[in-house]
Amino acid sequence: MEVLIGAGVLAATIRLATPVALAALGGVVTERSGVVNIALEGCMLVGAFFGVFAADKTGSLPAALAVAILAGLALAAMHAVAAITFRADQIVSGMALNILALGLTSYLDYQLYSSTGTPPTIPLVPNVHLGFLEKVPVLGGAVGDQSAIVWVTLAIVVFLQLFLFRTVPGLRLRSVGEHPRAADTLGIDVRRTRYWAVLASGALAALGGVYLSLSVAGSFSDNMTNGKGFIGLAAMIFGRWTPLGALGAALVFGYGDALSVSLQGVEVAGFVFPVQLLSTIPYLLTILAVAGFVGRSRMPAADGQPYESEGH
Amino acid sequence: MKRLLAFALMTMTVAAACGGGAGTASPSPSAAATSAAPSKTAAPTAAAVKVGLVTDVGGLNDKSFNALANQGRLDAEKDLKVQTSVTESKKQEDYVPNLTNYAQQKYDLVIAVGFLMTNATWKVAKQFPDVKFAIIDGAPANDKGDTENLPNVANLFFKEQEAGYLVGVIAATMAKNKVGKATHNTVCSMGGIPIPPVDRYIAGYQDAVKTVSPTTTILNGYSNDFVDQAKGKEVGLNHISKNCDILFQVAGASGLGYIQAAKDKGVYAIGVDADQAYVAPGTVLTSALKRVNKAVYDTIKAVVNKTFKAGDNSFNATNDGVGYGTLDPAVPADAKAAADKALADIKSGKITPKDAVQVK
Repeated sequence: MEVLIGAGVLAATIRLATPVALAALGGVVTERSGVVNIALEGCMLVGAFFGVFAADKTGSLPAALAVAILAGLALAAMHAVAAITFRADQIVSGMALNILALGLTSYLDYQLYSSTGTPPTIPLVPNVHLGFLEKVPVLGGAVGDQSAIVWVTLAIVVFLQLFLFRTVPGLRLRSVGEHPRAADTLGIDVRRTRYWAVLASGALAALGGVYLSLSVAGSFSDNMTNGKGFIGLAAMIFGRWTPLGALGAALVFGYGDALSVSLQGVEVAGFVFPVQLLSTIPYLLTILAVAGFVGRSRMPAADGQPYESEGH
Repeated sequence: MKRLLAFALMTMTVAAACGGGAGTASPSPSAAATSAAPSKTAAPTAAAVKVGLVTDVGGLNDKSFNALANQGRLDAEKDLKVQTSVTESKKQEDYVPNLTNYAQQKYDLVIAVGFLMTNATWKVAKQFPDVKFAIIDGAPANDKGDTENLPNVANLFFKEQEAGYLVGVIAATMAKNKVGKATHNTVCSMGGIPIPPVDRYIAGYQDAVKTVSPTTTILNGYSNDFVDQAKGKEVGLNHISKNCDILFQVAGASGLGYIQAAKDKGVYAIGVDADQAYVAPGTVLTSALKRVNKAVYDTIKAVVNKTFKAGDNSFNATNDGVGYGTLDPAVPADAKAAADKALADIKSGKITPKDAVQVK
């Protein structure tokens, strides 16, 4: 039981789900406005690198987080210009930016840190210790010592859920993704709304990236996001383009990853699971989850379609 | 029109990215300089030996395997006056084109870095019998996956189990005597993927622990990845929760996360391939060294001296192909003495470390 729902597994689930959840939230915001942004992977990667870079150069954590998010914003802005202003193919633009992010961060890492790696003394994001939970079984171990970014992520989920479905600007953002023509007729600036949404997605993904480098790993290594931006997009679909759903989906993926670690070396009736088999758990869970739920979800009607107003 | 413009912009961005990412570094300036020199002196001797290195997907900046291979290339360029060049493989489909590219340009020696390139090397080497090839950690494998040695391919193998054994002796000695933070008499290891070069390290490590300190508990795990630090860290935290306080990583960049787990929780770690003392001073006790740079350098030298040997070439403790790295001050003198004694015994043949993993 301990290896299935113990505090250790649940804590690992939360740690592994956080970067995926942040990418998924970025995906929700941008796709709700009607722009597909597969450059989230790249935004995460530049966030991870420039966070470490700024932490090294300034020695200040707030500066590092700010630079990381700015890097994500910059990459997202390039996508916004291509996708919204120039109405380019959003998949092509996103893919190109992912390649740019991988090349750029690998190149800079090689130039700046090739022989010694990123310094081990850079400031890291602290964990939040909840002393009063220490005595509570399971829960205390699961959430009592998580990174500050984990709690920020939770706050963002609640905020976005309320923003998108309970506020006027949220309604406007969704209307732009469902029927931009109608929104335009009613005086909503489609382009500006989409710009803000794409930028927000870049910032959220960059936060996920800097979580990996400045909270989990304490360093940068090439391609360290390892596809988590894409898994985030899967979580977004599985979570039906809602912030709460995206969080739930990210937790399912995180749980699969956590199980593939906690079940290693565990003996059940004299049988030890082979590592290769355990590594398939996250994918099996994904297939089960998608086959069971995703059939009923519906993407925003104008998702991925560039908008050209009548005036042009 | 705007679409076209946007597409053009994107194409340029991609091109810039590929160039910036050192997709293909042409002969470096120093190489160009050395190769230009003979023509100026108009020496009638043969042109400088040309060496091409093709990295694995880990890239030049993995701070371990590929980086060491590249170091060997640069050392050879400096000492042996050869002309060298390097190409990074971005994905596994790049292996054949990258190797072919050098072979077509009539390079004297083409070096493939890594176990995953065995089939690609077989394909290209068969097609270019006049070009010499070397492959690190493997032997040419035909399309059925069977090893098929070729007269123009040198297989550069390492006795990783010997390096694993040496660091295992240090870990076991510290665990047995409960030195410093190693209080639970439990040592662990984590591989990337269970493939032979990884498992040989772990096998040697476990063999040493079982020999030096039979009461010590051994755990082993895999991150199933060579890139993902987050996964490596989770395996580390899992091991530490089971009382491990010496963690040996054999998982490339993913293993850096394993070391970070040890650093976070205030226990010890052991690095792999390159000397990783710098990763976390005070945490990294030492590193199991695999001197890929030496293998590359020696192979280039063999081509220059016309002593190139096709088939298996072994790099081991006896010829300094493997060893242990910088010792942290936390490592006591008796642990170092035990490791040095083990090294001497391996060289003299008194100890032959096992190459099969005992604790899976």
